Amino acid sequence: MEKILLLEDGTMFHGEGFGYEGECVGEVVFTTGMSGYQEAITDQSFNGQILTFTYPLIGNCGINRDDSESIHPTCRGIIVKEAARRPSNWRCAMDLDTFLKNKKIPGIQGIDTRKLTKMLRDKGTIKGCIVDAGIDLDQALLDLQNRKLPTNQVSQVSTPTAYPNPGTKRRVVVVDFGLKHSILRELAKRGCDVVVLPYDSSAQDVLSQLPDGVMLTNGPGDPKDVPEAVAMIKEILGKVPIFGICLGHQLFALACNADTYKLKFGHRGFNHPVREVATGRIDFTSQNHGYAVDPESLTGTNLMVTHLEINDNTIEGIRHRDVPAFSVQFHPDATPGPHDAVHLFDDFMESMDTWKEGKHA
Amino acid sequence: MEMEKVIVDSETMKRALTRITYEVIERHKNLDNLVLVGIKTRGIPLAKRIAERFRLLEGIIIPVGELDITLYRDDIRQTDEPVAKKNELPFDVAGKQVLLVDDVLYTGRTIRAAMDAVMDLGRPLSIGLAVLVDRGHRELPIRADFVGKNIPTSKDESIKVEMEEIDGIDRILLKKAI
Repeated sequence: MEKILLLEDGTMFHGEGFGYEGECVGEVVFTTGMSGYQEAITDQSFNGQILTFTYPLIGNCGINRDDSESIHPTCRGIIVKEAARRPSNWRCAMDLDTFLKNKKIPGIQGIDTRKLTKMLRDKGTIKGCIVDAGIDLDQALLDLQNRKLPTNQVSQVSTPTAYPNPGTKRRVVVVDFGLKHSILRELAKRGCDVVVLPYDSSAQDVLSQLPDGVMLTNGPGDPKDVPEAVAMIKEILGKVPIFGICLGHQLFALACNADTYKLKFGHRGFNHPVREVATGRIDFTSQNHGYAVDPESLTGTNLMVTHLEINDNTIEGIRHRDVPAFSVQFHPDATPGPHDAVHLFDDFMESMDTWKEGKHA
Repeated sequence: MEMEKVIVDSETMKRALTRITYEVIERHKNLDNLVLVGIKTRGIPLAKRIAERFRLLEGIIIPVGELDITLYRDDIRQTDEPVAKKNELPFDVAGKQVLLVDDVLYTGRTIRAAMDAVMDLGRPLSIGLAVLVDRGHRELPIRADFVGKNIPTSKDESIKVEMEEIDGIDRILLKKAI
């Protein structure tokens, strides 16, 4: 079925629909990962976005049981050059088309994703929609331009109620802003006794779990749309070790009086080299963020920069000078992407142990 | 015969040093008075590496001094007390926050000798201790403020820290006579 990808500046791409039969509107972004489409599609940080894959063939190993990062993915749509017709992989449980149909995510293929990506890099991410070819396109463009995208993305993807993921070791409260399952997997691997709380939990809610540490997860959208979380972090800072990832990193920065800004076209992919400032060591990291911490805003705060992106020098990691709290913009949990930085979870474990020891000393 | 096993690899060792640096920053509101004193042999390159991390992270130069404690080897039981040779430090310790740096904390006797040596040179504001490995078995009331790795050992085992600057490789070995 012929479909059109329409952008708010009037640009049109003709393609063929696949996946869910329907239309969608969202912010058009691109990811440069050459694999890991299942993880990307199910990553809640893509909530409300139409996701372009720069890699030309997507779906060739199908969808498997193990690699999803959420149960109900909420990315709006998928744009690919070519969707594989017949997947082949020993773990394959269904093809991408069926998966997208099940999850009600429309896709469009046959798009010149290289041209589209160049446009997005040039102009920055913009609103777009995938629509049927037969409709009134002038009207569709007007509707698109007048459409306000939602800003309550975190509340759409966070858990509505608290739930445990029991373990036998350190008690970690995970504040869910749209968590990737891989964060829970990494904590589970280390035996953590995890309690997942909704994004709008108060400091009292968090501390009443008597945590050894608090994990602030990734999530979609602008950190400034979640002021309640910033207030919560301010209150728990110094009372318990904190580790933030992605949106959690940005919220931690805001709570320490730093500022964030929107990147032109974001970092989405998993070939992003990041330098650890303390050692000069380079890690290749998985990233998915459209906002970043403003380096100038760190002046006068108690934060120091621990990680920097090599390509454009954006801040990729910070740490509080006086209390055990640190965060990274990239995904140490990887999936998809390289596991270079997974040791940060071990650092978090050690940070909790040191803190505990100090409390009893 | 001796059995040896690598228990900490190069990456983990580097991470431990970075973590110690972060913790030192956390627990010192003010770094202006901080000086590092490495205890020979491997405490010296360790202190230098921590100082290098300070330079990269905070853009500050932390002075590094060296202490030579003789009559002491970690792998041989000594009946004599370790004592400090005549030491000189490239700075005045008076009023400074001295952070002693050593590779392995064991009986605590070396650290005691190091503290004596520092105090012979002046009256520091405080003396702290950072070690890469705490292997237990203290014979004196001494504890480290910053520990890279706690490695519980038995007395017939020994810990050998190897460093690129001296041994050509970064790793920690657990040795045991069999």
